[in-house]
Formats: sequence, structure tokens, C-alpha cells
Amino acid sequence: MDNKVSMYVVRESGLHSLHPLTKSLMVICLFIAGFILPYQWISYYLFIFIIIPLAIWGKILGDLLKAVWKVSLPIAISVLIIQSLFWGEGTALFEMWGLSPKKEGLIFALTSIGRIILTMSDLMLFTMTVRPDFLMISLKQIGMPSSLAYIVVTTLQIVPSFQRKASTILDAQRSRGLETEGSIITRAKALVPIILPLVVGSLVEVEERAIAIEARAFNSTKNETSIIEIPDTVLQKNIRRVLIIVIIACVIFGILWRS
Amino acid sequence: MAFVNIHNLTYQYPLTKTPVLQNINLQINQGEFVAVVGPNGAGKSTLCYALAGFVPHFFKGEISGTIEVAGIESSKSTLDEWVLNVGLAFQNPFNQISGAKYTVFEEIAFGLENIGLPREQMKGRVEEAMKLTGITELADRSPYSLSGGQQQRVALTSILVMQPKLLVLDEPTSQMDPIGTREVFSTIRKMAEDGMTVVLGEHKVEWIANFADRVIALKDGQILLEGKPNEVLTSDLLAQNGFGISRYTSTAREAKKQGLWKKDSLPVTLDEAVEGFRNA
Repeated sequence: MDNKVSMYVVRESGLHSLHPLTKSLMVICLFIAGFILPYQWISYYLFIFIIIPLAIWGKILGDLLKAVWKVSLPIAISVLIIQSLFWGEGTALFEMWGLSPKKEGLIFALTSIGRIILTMSDLMLFTMTVRPDFLMISLKQIGMPSSLAYIVVTTLQIVPSFQRKASTILDAQRSRGLETEGSIITRAKALVPIILPLVVGSLVEVEERAIAIEARAFNSTKNETSIIEIPDTVLQKNIRRVLIIVIIACVIFGILWRS
Repeated sequence: MAFVNIHNLTYQYPLTKTPVLQNINLQINQGEFVAVVGPNGAGKSTLCYALAGFVPHFFKGEISGTIEVAGIESSKSTLDEWVLNVGLAFQNPFNQISGAKYTVFEEIAFGLENIGLPREQMKGRVEEAMKLTGITELADRSPYSLSGGQQQRVALTSILVMQPKLLVLDEPTSQMDPIGTREVFSTIRKMAEDGMTVVLGEHKVEWIANFADRVIALKDGQILLEGKPNEVLTSDLLAQNGFGISRYTSTAREAKKQGLWKKDSLPVTLDEAVEGFRNA
């Protein structure tokens, strides 16, 4: 699979072979539990005791940690500095150069960082182990309109080809003497002869693609079938039911606890 | 009654001032392989779109006259019904890849999924179609990783797999090498012999001479000439009206002026030219 937009990691694993809907419910459940349940460090527990084992099962732990690290680190640092230094009232941990980080601020920052880590790792777990087209097929089976599914999957495939086309146009215009380097004004001027062919070309392309898929009965009113069979099991169906119940329970518990 | 019946067809695109097709009358029998030739802008593609139902269902514009395929009139049908009988593949292969599929095998199944064919039948049909066009070994490749010629074969296969009664092709071999072109033309020929009606817009006159049953020469949206490939493709009218003609035809025409070509008819293909000059 040579597409750069989707973050799907091609591996053979138990997690990969789970039904996309099972995985969808799983990540939704983790997310809701992490945000709604009234326990301070719950996101860390979920991350360590559920997400990491799942990632090991899916053979993507390394990729997952790397991605989460890259995305979360800058946010984590800024949250840590801002929340602990600029917390209004509270117990000062120490004083240095006139700054006094507060304990309450630090705790709040750590909870927030936990949530960021949970959200990121949850999303990564999902995108790295679910093939986009499999997801769309299973969503279509539970009633999503097929044109919407088509748009999502084609976008993932067409964006890389769009990038390739842009760089072809760039090369072509450069070989005709277009200046693309130098001052900001030179660069801005260079945009027009690059973007114009790209946009006009894409409009033509859209029309032809519409014809091509119509010619293959895209608008047919018949019930669609799928060549790809997504394996499902009774066990997974039951797990999905349980997950739905857990999600509802979390929401109810969270509402009751807050009121 | 002919299988395809076009009666007094005149058509104009929404944003143009003159009609692209004017007073076209055409009958095509079932299993006939008809090639349409003409200079750029003659209306070849528009005629193909009209047969495939995209004119006027997709492009709108002004239309008069009737198009009938298998006894059904185009204007009384909807596009999604029409495409079940009529398949269309056109020139640019890249834009014919659906973009929704990750392998060639799935790509070819796209149309069958849309018409709701059960999975078991689908697999058989896709494999059969791939064998027919010789792309079985591409099954697991990504459609975007293929060459232009390979993509054209995938586009053609994606339509053939739907088993249309009328197959409309608009320059389906433009990015293929001569070997690929020969294979595709023989496949189309075979489909026609098995009863599929084929209309092909094409520039490659030598191939048409070898494979088509009949040639229609379009000029400015009107039928200029119609008849057997060798008669139409060697006609003086074509040469005078800016049609692409075979180099063997033009060579022999010059030779005839010098008295070096003795036969009455002019050649279109290399073989005919060789034979004619040998006997001269």
C-alpha cells in the first residue's frame, strides 16, 4: 500500500484482524472513560494498563510511542510551564527568581497531560491498525451513505497523487525558467503559474472521474455488496454490545457524579 | 431492427454556440465492431458520450433526435439504468481509477459492488475479466502504481467485467505500446464475435483496418463517410479533410501518381502495402 496520508501500519496481528467496528467502540470507550470518570489519574492508568498492552498485541508499540511522543511533547511542556507557574492561589513548591510554581497547578497540568497522552495514543492505536477502506465498508454496512464513504477513502488516496502532480508542475515551470527561490515577492509570484494549472487540471479531473464512476453504476439504487469480506465473530459482536453498555454506563456515572 | 439506432441526433453543449453533433443517423447491428474516426473536435468523444448516456443525462445541453440501444430510448431512461447495458471507457486512464480501492482486483470489482452482485459471483467475474485482458498478475498491485498503459487496461477491464451489451471506447489504447494495442484490439474483436456490440473512437487507422467491421468518418459533427474500413480509410475525401491517414495509404497514393502502384484500391496496413508493391 503506497499511500502516505493514512497512518495505517501494515502488520499481521490479532489487533489488526479485529473488526473495525470493534476497534471503533474500543477507542470511543477508552476516550469517554478517560474524560468522564472522576478519578484524577485515570488517563495514565488507561494508557499504561490498556493502551500499551493493546499496542504490544498489535505489534505497533514502537510506532505508537514515537508518534505520541512527537505530538504530545511540545503541548505537554507548554501546559506544564503555564499551569504550574501561573496558577493563582495555592501552595508554593519552591521559590526561584521570583517565580513560585504551585502544587495545585502542577497537579492540574499533569492531569491535562494525561488526557492529551490518552487521546493521542487512543487515536494512533486506531489509525495505525484500521485500514481506511475496511472502516468505510463496515460503516456502510451499518448505514453510512456510500457517497460519504467514497469521499473519505478517495481523499486519502488522491491527496498523495495531488502532491505528486503539484511537484510535476513545479518542475515543469522551473524548467521553463520560473524563479521559485529568493525573496518573498519572487516566491509569491511563482505561486500563480503553479497553482493555476493544478486547480484547472483538478476541475477537469473531477468531471472525468465523475463520468468514470457513473459508468460503473455508482449511482445505482441497488443494494451494494462488497468484494472485501471483513471477518467478524460472535465473540466480537458480544464484545461490541458490552462496550456499548460500558460507554453508556460511563456517561451516566459521570453525569450522576457531577450533579 | 438494429441494436443501436441513432435518428437525427443533433446536440449542443450548454456553453457552446454551435452544435457538436449534427443530424447523425446511424444503425449498428448486434455484434458489430464499429470504429469512429475524425480530426480533433469532430465530435468523436461526444458521440461516444451520447451512446453511453452521458449526453444529455450528465452534460445537459440541447438535444434533438433519438438514441436507442436494445430497444430502449436514452431520453426515456435514467443514467443508472442505462449504464447497465452500455459500458464506457475513455482516454485518460488516471481519471478512470475510482480512487476508492487499494488493489487492482478490488478496483475492477467496484462496478459489480455497485450493482449488488453477491461476493462469490463477483470474484469469478473479476478473475475471468482479468484473464481476458491479460492483467491477472497485476491483481494485488495498487492501481496508482501502474503505468499509463496498464491503467488503461485496468479501466477497460473494469468496464468489461460489467458485461455491457454495448461497449463504447474512446481511444482506449492511447498510452499503450504496439504490443499492448494489438492485444487489446484482439480482445475487443473477440468480444464482438461473442455478441458484444462495440463502438470505438480511435486515431490508429492501421489497427482499425485490421480489426473493425465498419468505419464512420466524422467531420464537424456530421458523418462524412461510412463503410468498410479499407474503402473509407483510403478515400481521397479523408485526406482532403484533415483526417489522420495511414502512412502506407499516403505513400501508395503518391506511388500511384507515378504509376508505381498498380492496384485500384490503396492499402491501409503494412502487409497490404508490401503485397501491393511486390506485385507492381
